Amino acid sequence: MAQSLTHGETALPADWRDLFALTKPRVMSLVVFTALCGLLAAPGAVHPVLAFSSILAIALGAGASGALNQWYEAGLDAKMKRTAGRPLPAGRLDRQTALQFGVGLAAFSLFLMLFASNWQATLLLLVSILFYVFVYTMWLKPRTPQNIVIGGAAGAFPPLIGWVAATGSVAPLPVLLFLLIFLWTPPHFWALALFVRSDYAAAGIPMMPVVAGEKSTRRQILFYAVIMAIGAIAPWPLGYTGALYGWTAVLLSAVFVLLSIRVGTRTTGDGDRMQPEKRLFAYSIAYLFILFGAVVADHWWPL
Amino acid sequence: MTDENSRETSGQEPFDEAEYRRRQRSRANLMAWMLGALAILFFFITIAKMQIFA
Repeated sequence: MAQSLTHGETALPADWRDLFALTKPRVMSLVVFTALCGLLAAPGAVHPVLAFSSILAIALGAGASGALNQWYEAGLDAKMKRTAGRPLPAGRLDRQTALQFGVGLAAFSLFLMLFASNWQATLLLLVSILFYVFVYTMWLKPRTPQNIVIGGAAGAFPPLIGWVAATGSVAPLPVLLFLLIFLWTPPHFWALALFVRSDYAAAGIPMMPVVAGEKSTRRQILFYAVIMAIGAIAPWPLGYTGALYGWTAVLLSAVFVLLSIRVGTRTTGDGDRMQPEKRLFAYSIAYLFILFGAVVADHWWPL
Repeated sequence: MTDENSRETSGQEPFDEAEYRRRQRSRANLMAWMLGALAILFFFITIAKMQIFA
């Protein structure tokens, strides 16, 4: 591995904790969970070792995407309070190390997926990494407030990859799960963007609240929340899931929409603590975890 | 002026050899564990594939 952090004329090796932090472990946990749910909800049995290896490959691919994202955005991260403590902007790592780590990890994740699973899942994993790094990070994010809407596709791949790793083919249910995460991403990220708006503005990132204003963002959160709720419930009436998933989706989505109505219809003044926005952001994470858990529970223990 | 003093006056941190060795050792240990785990994982993947295609 490359050297980093020059102290005088001698370079210190990068600390492994900083390399680990490059992989965005918290984001990775959601990726691993949704991928695992996609794999477990697929028909047929997968050998446990191959299932574990496929999920590991997806986790490493997500980690590589996170590392390459941080490599590219090191300058932007330094301007935002939320990200200034990351290894690159804080000066604990140099960019060359981050780039080598990200590319190496991506290559290894693809090799592992190909060895443990099939070429279809490997191809999807490659597309998801390239999409996140080139389409979202480099192209969309610095240019358009729609970055999260289109870029949300990158985070929506894991359940699809998990399913394809298990079956070798695409089916309607994982496509609907892809769609669910795709529609979930805008209200999730815009809720966050509302309470860290000054951060994004300082970094010059055209997030929706910075470009279109708070009122428009709030309206769009509500709009996407309603569409997302329809997308979340859809697998039940379409016959791809049973009542266990269906009722879970109905109840959880109803709460999601209610929280979004609160966020979507209010106006804020100076010094507002943005509690409804923070509540919606926190709930959106739990929502996805529980809903994907319900997909698996419904598959294994149908009502 | 010593070398250390010149570094301090130029705003650079003095080189900490103990920290250098600690990081080197922790990374070497981690790499060894990871390579061992990968060897075991690849062995079991091969066995699993042999079972499936047998």
